[in-house]
Amino acid sequence: MTSEVKAPAMMKPEPKKKKKIASLDRRKARAGWLFVLPFAIGFVLLYVPIIYESIMYSLYNYKVVSGTLTKTFVGWANYSSALFEEANFVQTLIKGLKEMAFDIPAIIIFSLFIAVILNQKMIGRAAFRAIFFLPVVVSTGLMESILTTSYAFSGTSMDLGMESEAAKSASDMALEGLLFNIFDSLGFGSGLITYIVSAVSSIASIINRSGVQILIFLAALQSISPAIYESCQIDGATAWETFWKITFPMVSPMILVNGVYTIIDNFTTDSNSVMNVITDTYASAVRNAKHISAAMGWMYFLVVLLIVGAVAGIFSAYVFYQRRD
Amino acid sequence: MTQNMDSKPVVKRESKNKIRVEFERTALSERLKAKYLSTYFLKRAAWFIFRFLLLVGIAFVVIEPFITMIASSFTAPEDFVDSTVVNVPKHLSVGIYKAIVRDIHYVKMFFNTLGLSLGCAILQTFSCCLIGYGLAKFKFRGAKAVFFAVILTLAIPHGTLQSAIYYRFRYFDIFGIFKFFSGGLTSKIGWLNTVLSKIRILPYGCQDGLNMMETVAPLLILSACGLAFKNGLYIFMLRQFFRGVPDELEESAYLDGANTFRTFVQVILPLSVPMMITVFLFSFCWQWTDDFYVPLFFATTKPVLMTNVAQSIPLPSLQLIYKNVTGGSARYARAMRYGCGLLASSPLIILYLFCQRYLVQGIERSGIVG
Repeated sequence: MTSEVKAPAMMKPEPKKKKKIASLDRRKARAGWLFVLPFAIGFVLLYVPIIYESIMYSLYNYKVVSGTLTKTFVGWANYSSALFEEANFVQTLIKGLKEMAFDIPAIIIFSLFIAVILNQKMIGRAAFRAIFFLPVVVSTGLMESILTTSYAFSGTSMDLGMESEAAKSASDMALEGLLFNIFDSLGFGSGLITYIVSAVSSIASIINRSGVQILIFLAALQSISPAIYESCQIDGATAWETFWKITFPMVSPMILVNGVYTIIDNFTTDSNSVMNVITDTYASAVRNAKHISAAMGWMYFLVVLLIVGAVAGIFSAYVFYQRRD
Repeated sequence: MTQNMDSKPVVKRESKNKIRVEFERTALSERLKAKYLSTYFLKRAAWFIFRFLLLVGIAFVVIEPFITMIASSFTAPEDFVDSTVVNVPKHLSVGIYKAIVRDIHYVKMFFNTLGLSLGCAILQTFSCCLIGYGLAKFKFRGAKAVFFAVILTLAIPHGTLQSAIYYRFRYFDIFGIFKFFSGGLTSKIGWLNTVLSKIRILPYGCQDGLNMMETVAPLLILSACGLAFKNGLYIFMLRQFFRGVPDELEESAYLDGANTFRTFVQVILPLSVPMMITVFLFSFCWQWTDDFYVPLFFATTKPVLMTNVAQSIPLPSLQLIYKNVTGGSARYARAMRYGCGLLASSPLIILYLFCQRYLVQGIERSGIVG
């Protein structure tokens, strides 16, 4: 008897409870959507149409005739003319890829090295950090254009300015020669030597582009538990061993992140030569009503995507994840 | 050392509360030798010196352009023709700055850029915080898709979308609403057309949607949606940061009866001030020196903004000010350019000096790693 009486009493509140839990989850889900709403609206109403139109631009020819847009379907003509007619594009793309293959390892190695050093306790660490992150803020397109544009100065004389520039490049050449000789006498292979020498001579641009990467590595280094280093020290590991056995595996996920970030950043900055070609083509397209720039951009994006995918695929096989929890 | 072990320390009672231990200490010179002549110490000292020199060297590479810019922009006119002067001027003058401030409307430029950058940066910081928080703390269907979309916006080079962005805002329209109300679609239906042309909600001329060119509206819209320059990065950083904030904080706020938005504003945002300052700093500075969107949206009229400082460098004033100067015009032009660069970047540097403490703190706490 008693069991019979109890059973319905037990049964009754259960569905109510279930309902309550579900509604809380749903409320939280709704709140989540509300939070991402600005992005969702912008993405659906602005970004997706922009991507769609951009793909369309690469397939159509657009013309503004008396204030209204007219379009004619041309298929892959824009792509083929970008590939085969535009003299600069393919050349610049290959050159840009070569530069990237050179720059990205240099940036990653340099920023990891600097982050490891800046993570140590020393005099003036705060000041050094402040200086090293300065390029993140200041060294963008504007400053680059101010520092590097060689002025086409019409008229009088380029005398002194040119002279000093020439002198500077001569001293650079001398430095490169000296470095080359030093490494050559130490017996390194010539490929490695040319890599290091050109890395040293382009150190300024590498430093200027590795601010964010240093920040990310620094954050990764700070998250490594000091207990691991302590136990290493007690076991008698040298600093070199500690770096390769502890620090390197622990920051390896961030090497992946930084690699991908650097590739994308490298590809999307305005100082990138391929981007310059695309922008120039765009500027002339406004006049000529020819939309090769969109076709170029999409091919470029596909190349970027392929490279990012390849790099991420290769590196993620070697990345070490510390298991937490 | 071994001698020392043999002799036992002698403990003497000096007074009621004091004892004195007498033992044979190793001589001072021996102790110093042991301390400073060991390979351990020497290695450390060598590493210390090497590290310091390296850092100073690299720091110099970072600062060098600024030093050159400062030195060259304060050079007096007579030094431009002096071939012995390379970087450090013999005579100082502020003539360059006088010319710049007079010719490029620096004050107007400063306040215009400040207003635009502040508006965009505040909008971007707030909307990125919202989006990042939504992605970090709520499980909802489609969250992964939204996150993927965020990464996509980061990865597509904006040059690819250049012309599409331009036409999107040149003929701005959503679902043809503007076209409808301005009479673009209704011309075939007579009665609706007459009604709408009488109401005139929107100027009747814009059949192809709103023309947003030459206004700041596109920038503000992009900022509010978290689609502006590098906003994907900010959203990613903020998401990682918010994921590190313990859930218990929000749960206790919910128990106290706060809704999600209030919890976000009153509990979560005060916690994330360093991170927000970091994002604000990035967005402010990158908007300040932006040279992609501003030329895109202001294609025909060059607004008085810092971005255009490089184009508006007053070169012809050279002949007017320095009539007696014959050579050195290239150096004068360079000095002019550097002066402009300094004037454009100095507000950023000042802001950075105030915020850089939070920058490192914010990134460290962001737990990008976790």
